[in-house]
Amino acid sequence: MLKKNLICFILALVFLPVFSPAQEREGAILVGANIGNVPWEFQDTDGSFIGFEIDLVNEIGQRLGRDVEIVNIPFNGLFSAVQSGRIDIAISSIGITDRRLESVSFTQPYYDSDQSLTTVIGSGIESLDDLRGQIVAVDTGSTGDIWATENMEKYGFSEIRRYEGLAPAMLDVVIGRVKGYISDIPALLYYTRDKPNLAVVERIPTGGRYALMMGKNAPLVIDVNTVISTLKQEGFVNGLHTKWFGIPAEDNTSTVEVRSMPMPDVELASNFVETFLNMDVFMQTYPMLIAGLGTTIQLGILAIVAGLIVGLGVALVRLYALLPFQIIAKVYIDIFRSIPLLVLLIIIFYALPFVGISLSPFYAAAVTLTLVSGSYTAEIFRAGIEAIPKGQFEASQALGLNYRDMMKDVILPQAIKIVIPPLTNNCINVIKDTALASVVAMPDLLKQATQAQAVAANPTPLIAAAVIYLAFLLPLVLWVSRLEVKFKVGDR
Amino acid sequence: MATLIELKNVEKHYGSFKALTGINLNIDEGEVICVIGPSGSGKSTMIRCINLLEQYDPDGEIIVDGIKVQKGKNLKDVRAEVGMVFQNFNLFPHLTILKNIMLAPMRVKGTDEKTAEKTARALLAKVGIETQANKYPSQLSGGQQQRVAIARALAMEPKVLLFDEPTSALDPEMVGEVLDVIKVLATSGVTMIVVTHEMGFARQVADRVIFMDDGQVIEQGTPKQIFDDPQEQRTKSFLKAVLKH
Repeated sequence: MLKKNLICFILALVFLPVFSPAQEREGAILVGANIGNVPWEFQDTDGSFIGFEIDLVNEIGQRLGRDVEIVNIPFNGLFSAVQSGRIDIAISSIGITDRRLESVSFTQPYYDSDQSLTTVIGSGIESLDDLRGQIVAVDTGSTGDIWATENMEKYGFSEIRRYEGLAPAMLDVVIGRVKGYISDIPALLYYTRDKPNLAVVERIPTGGRYALMMGKNAPLVIDVNTVISTLKQEGFVNGLHTKWFGIPAEDNTSTVEVRSMPMPDVELASNFVETFLNMDVFMQTYPMLIAGLGTTIQLGILAIVAGLIVGLGVALVRLYALLPFQIIAKVYIDIFRSIPLLVLLIIIFYALPFVGISLSPFYAAAVTLTLVSGSYTAEIFRAGIEAIPKGQFEASQALGLNYRDMMKDVILPQAIKIVIPPLTNNCINVIKDTALASVVAMPDLLKQATQAQAVAANPTPLIAAAVIYLAFLLPLVLWVSRLEVKFKVGDR
Repeated sequence: MATLIELKNVEKHYGSFKALTGINLNIDEGEVICVIGPSGSGKSTMIRCINLLEQYDPDGEIIVDGIKVQKGKNLKDVRAEVGMVFQNFNLFPHLTILKNIMLAPMRVKGTDEKTAEKTARALLAKVGIETQANKYPSQLSGGQQQRVAIARALAMEPKVLLFDEPTSALDPEMVGEVLDVIKVLATSGVTMIVVTHEMGFARQVADRVIFMDDGQVIEQGTPKQIFDDPQEQRTKSFLKAVLKH
């Protein structure tokens, strides 16, 4: 018990700087928004933020006599941002759900929404029933994600692929890697209005209600909610509807009528442990995290093994092949060590389909990690081989060993001893870098954790994921340190 | 006696520096040659050309047992006949003494492991260190390591053994044990070319002594001719310098 308290205390110290409530700061109201979510919040051509919700929070700020500052935060980062107090308000057509209400507060809703299915015209998918055995796209942790997950069996989706927003998801719909995109209907109606090859083919009634999301029982919630009531009565909110959707909202919708603030069924204490180390949330999301860990390990091991083979081959070519091949190897090594992993991954996943190579998220990530790991491994092997004294090569040659036997029996066994510590470091990096694969909708540990975090509106799964990464990688890190010490005092 | 090794007009350039100039030598089967001369005179470079650890200039030619020494598939036949012992032993540090000796016969000749081990143990006995078979090179003294290196070269049953200053890296008290092993070999009929600074040893074992300077063979003859009655001025001054003390 004492030990548990101590751990909480240490964690509290670590998180304290981000945990101080934003409201205590004087001045601007900080608003987090997933910019690019049309027509709610996006950038116009000169780079300024515009949209329905941007207009709404700006007006609210004005009525409260405070400046409004917009911060661009990805959708599934908004939840921990309001909980930690990094931002005061989150906007991004966030739907009110009972699960979310357990951990955050919402103002009254200002928009009634449903989900929708968007497909490519002529793809043969004209309703949800056509999606049996097909892959569907959603935004990680969104209402569409929650709906698709609950109805996966009913409609027989083969897979739900989770993206970080509309743009990458629609790109894969157009490429044909996924057959449909399930997301908020207003955004998709707005998005497809000037794209004749795309259509919203089905409305999915979910009774979604969008509201401003704020920290649990933040003092500002009541003030903001009161302003929204006033704005509705003045017709300002419906004016925004007309501005952004071309027509006014119907009379009995929450865009027009004043509604009460949504309250949770059960009132939970909102303290550090409940927020960051919530046992219930952990137990619920644990199976997802383990599934994610499985994917992470598979991807990591595949990329490490393939990277070692590529790296060794390239190192040997770089050292001993004919000059033109040496140059090719050097160019490969230099390019792939210079290009950021994320950029390469996005090119391989999103650009290659246009030349006819369409890889699944798993293989796109595996190829990317292998190419980059291979280039680092090649340099490590080269350094290891070059560290072997010339006399070892000469003795092997004088004895008549051929090149293969010389490398296999004499040079590499000695080089491996030298390269094991840096190679293990590289392996650790590869495993950590698998987390980047979440941007191409691959359900690795990080992706599963962010999704679980958005669904539960609680950051506990992220903390759990961090602990899992740590439990997995820390022994490797310690092992490398031991090897380095051991080889330093060794005879070679 | 049949000629085993022929060097015809062998030259070697490192860029513009000429390391060997017009070397012509015939070495008979069973002959023991000692090569002497000042440092940097091209002694090591010359013997390293014989198994192509150094590539000589294309105008010259080296023939070992009827095979031209050049890159290509004949090279392995040459190297199978030419053993070499290095100044710095160059044992394989990750293998035991026994495995050091067994590796090449197994890989190059396809000898089975049992036979290779039997041969290796016999050779270790021959160089007087059979008790060290399962140790690693770093656990042995320099003299013992060089004797292992000799056993390793012998395991390939070469027709020719090249020694590249085999005692130069040794502490003085270990020079004798290595020279003793080489002396025994010299009487066994194997052809040997020994680059050395040990004049007493050269006088005792060599059938022929070659004096080199400035990349050229200056003078050659029996030990008696070279050490007692050198003809060339450069030979005389070299011997005077090294034999003074």
